[in-house]
Amino acid sequence: MKATSMQWQAVVNGKAQEMEIAPSRRLLDILRDDLDLTGTKVSCEIGRCGACMVLIDGQPMNSCLMMAYQCADTEITTIEGLHGETESELHPIQEAFLEEGGFQCGYCTPGMIISTKALLDRTPQPAEQEIKEGLCGNLCRCTGYGGIMRAVESAADKCAHRSSLSPTAGLPMK
Amino acid sequence: MLLNRENSGERWRKRRDGREKVTGELRYLTDMTAEGMLYGRVLRSSHPHARILSLDTSAAEAYEGVIAVITYRDVPGLNRFGIAVPDQPALCEDMVRYIGDAVAAVAAVTPEIAEYALSLIRVNYEVLETITDPLRALEDTAPRLHPQGNVLHRTQVKQGDADTVLQNCTYVVKEVYSTPRQMHAYMETEGGLFVPEPDGRLTVYAPTQHGYKDRMQIARILDWEEERIRVISSPIGGSFGGKDELNVQPYGSLLALKSGRPVKMHNSRMESVRAGLKRHPMRIEMETGMDEHGRLQAHRVRIVADTGAYATLGAPVLNFATEHCMGPYRLQHVDVEGVSVYTNNGVSGEFRGFGGNQAIFAMEGQMDRLAEKIGMDPWEFRMLNRRLPDDPGPLQQEIWRTNGLEQVMQALAQSSLWQRRTVDSALPAAVMTGYDPVTSASPVPPWIKRGIGSSLAMHGAGLGYGIDDPAGGRLSLNAQGQIEVAFSYEEFGQGLIATLEIMLMDLFHCTAEDISIVIGDTDLVPHSGSSTASRSTTMAWMALQRLKTPFLQAVLQKAQEMTGIPIDQLTTGEHGIWQMITEEGEEMSRKRVVSYREIAGVTEDKELTFDTKFSYPTTPDEVVGGHFLYTYAAVAAEVEVNTLTGHVKLLDTYHTVAAGPVINPMGFVGQIEGGSVMALGFTLTEDAVMEEGHYMTRNMDTYMIPGIQDMHTSLEVEVIEDLPENDSFGPRGIGEIGSVALAPAITAAIRQATGQWISHLPVPREQLIQRAGRWQQEGVSPR
Repeated sequence: MKATSMQWQAVVNGKAQEMEIAPSRRLLDILRDDLDLTGTKVSCEIGRCGACMVLIDGQPMNSCLMMAYQCADTEITTIEGLHGETESELHPIQEAFLEEGGFQCGYCTPGMIISTKALLDRTPQPAEQEIKEGLCGNLCRCTGYGGIMRAVESAADKCAHRSSLSPTAGLPMK
Repeated sequence: MLLNRENSGERWRKRRDGREKVTGELRYLTDMTAEGMLYGRVLRSSHPHARILSLDTSAAEAYEGVIAVITYRDVPGLNRFGIAVPDQPALCEDMVRYIGDAVAAVAAVTPEIAEYALSLIRVNYEVLETITDPLRALEDTAPRLHPQGNVLHRTQVKQGDADTVLQNCTYVVKEVYSTPRQMHAYMETEGGLFVPEPDGRLTVYAPTQHGYKDRMQIARILDWEEERIRVISSPIGGSFGGKDELNVQPYGSLLALKSGRPVKMHNSRMESVRAGLKRHPMRIEMETGMDEHGRLQAHRVRIVADTGAYATLGAPVLNFATEHCMGPYRLQHVDVEGVSVYTNNGVSGEFRGFGGNQAIFAMEGQMDRLAEKIGMDPWEFRMLNRRLPDDPGPLQQEIWRTNGLEQVMQALAQSSLWQRRTVDSALPAAVMTGYDPVTSASPVPPWIKRGIGSSLAMHGAGLGYGIDDPAGGRLSLNAQGQIEVAFSYEEFGQGLIATLEIMLMDLFHCTAEDISIVIGDTDLVPHSGSSTASRSTTMAWMALQRLKTPFLQAVLQKAQEMTGIPIDQLTTGEHGIWQMITEEGEEMSRKRVVSYREIAGVTEDKELTFDTKFSYPTTPDEVVGGHFLYTYAAVAAEVEVNTLTGHVKLLDTYHTVAAGPVINPMGFVGQIEGGSVMALGFTLTEDAVMEEGHYMTRNMDTYMIPGIQDMHTSLEVEVIEDLPENDSFGPRGIGEIGSVALAPAITAAIRQATGQWISHLPVPREQLIQRAGRWQQEGVSPR
């Protein structure tokens, strides 16, 4: 196995991870199977639906299309890595999805929230069209996107309010 | 009332199951793993129709890491499944009838080995004629797919003499409508974990809409007592009808028992497309006649439904389509015949709307065509022909009378969207040009056309007359001092848990923490029927109405014994029983006198447990499948059509729904919005395309469900909550009503925008692309 494996390391949700795996192993499988982070979901496996969306160095990426060697030595944030000011608190985006009914079955939700995080980090006060562009890689079959639109708008307000209170809190997750 | 967060006050509540969903902590059944677990994979048929000449699994069995291989020889019980008619082989013996048929299955130590082992299984097939067209299947020369032939089911409704009357009608509209093979496209594909327990039982962790039905079907396949199987079936990552039937359960169960180890199954999206249910493609021919005043006289309908290779609920779906193809209209002379036909195209089955979507699209299309023919406003035309509150149902059966139809019709007529519609639509293509309320500053290019359309639906709930439709539930004070309800309903995202919480808080004035909700586990819940046919909300509400009085009486009696306070001063409330004190001349005061936990502490096991069993209300008339309770909806939609590209964009959308009191406003809005966008896909983009029995659309890149960029510009949900005073059925389910009536409203809007009548879904874009000559007339010159 030596010839086909690599020493893979990355920071996942703030924690250094190191393992010997095949360079072509999908990040999706590393997360779900090797690290037991099942909040990242598997659905289309061709990068269309966004259920497996994670942040890699702050950028939203479909983890089903990402091989181990491509994301070695990066910082990876999954839904489990998102939280409010303390670890037990919800992130304002999560809070907004909860309040507005931005989910039903919840299976697309982790990916949807990760994409929202990337969107709001980039564009703190997105216009409607920017929200649609930011989330066009995430499919939801339950909500019809109404609750999601309302949640993202509300999340933008919450994040803006929070960053006005604390100048560092709105910055990308480290 | 417009239903939204603002208008809902405190009833707009964060979902009880929400936190674990937004944090990703929730373990779906396909996220589960177990010590020593194997991975199961299924070998599907290579051909849509073939005879199996030989089947050799020896090389797969010998491969290192393969622990179990199963074929039909390993099925101890009935090698068939199907909710209504068990005609689908769990593992095929000698014939395959569609591309998703299972021939063998493997459990191995890694998914890669399991996948590889499938390639080692040798199957020799004799390829047979593939029946792709239901009309071909009905010919005498077609191969017979099942011993009884190729007809699964026929329906017929005859009243009066439609043929003769049609010949004498002043106006007749004849049209053939066709609808797509829509896929449920739940985000979580089918799967689960199958665990042989040390005590000889089997635990099945797999999503379904009816745990007890799965348990019965799995027991039948295994030839086991049902009680040996425990089905844990919630939470579910979406279903929409698609997980109602068995999917991976036979293979997971058989592999787990053969290997003696836990087995995980989880379909890839492509396998989900290949093996899973779809909505029935239907060809609906309608001929409808009216007199010179615009009164409907006669209606002739022929429905051909492509049910695919196996039955599942194909027959009840056809019954439903038959009942709904007459709409909420007065019709004296009716001649409807339906046939559901076996083909080698996938398997069609249960899907949100249940045959209503197709029938309503066709019937409402007729209404718009007839109205235009006589030059009437389409809504006035519907008003003229609507059923009256005392009229019988579409099958002449007695139905529960409400004013829902009148109310949704009035609400739509008064909606700002419908009032915005230009009445003068004599020149449909030109009428809407140049009017753009959003960007009125910039003139709209002449190839952009706008129109507004509407539609109407009455939609039956429950399974209908003559079909076992059990309901029930359990209410108790549990050992932890919580008011606990248990139902065999499932949470697939619709918000059942949130709705139950609100119902219990309403009934007992307690807090969310005082409540325990038990669902989705056949070891823990009573039989209360399936979560289908928009029935769970009504059934849960009716069960609680039956259970609350005996429960309250017993709990308050207990509190009286403990506190010495007379029962008539006691009531349930936050965290326990409260005493209401009214002293003369003073305001009422209240205090908590004993906690639920204290009561539980002195309660014998089951002493405060109450069960009820009943059935979903049905019509007294012996009309099989006929419904008793209906919900009513009216929809208006504005579209923008780009006649250069044929692209249709849904703009403002309005749904009004008469379904009794709203229990859970967030859930209600979510169901209508979600149903509406699912219907948008049905109308514009979705079709699981098959060629020669093979799927051409195999994943979400070619099977196009709406994305966020496709959603409406705005959507208003107006609810009508009134019910007759003597109504004892409470809130009606609304899981389907949002998805059944949007398509005809969109196609009516397209007609107004472009002059094109649409009779085929999804809307053929090429039909909307107009020749440049059209724009030249409107002052645009081609380069």
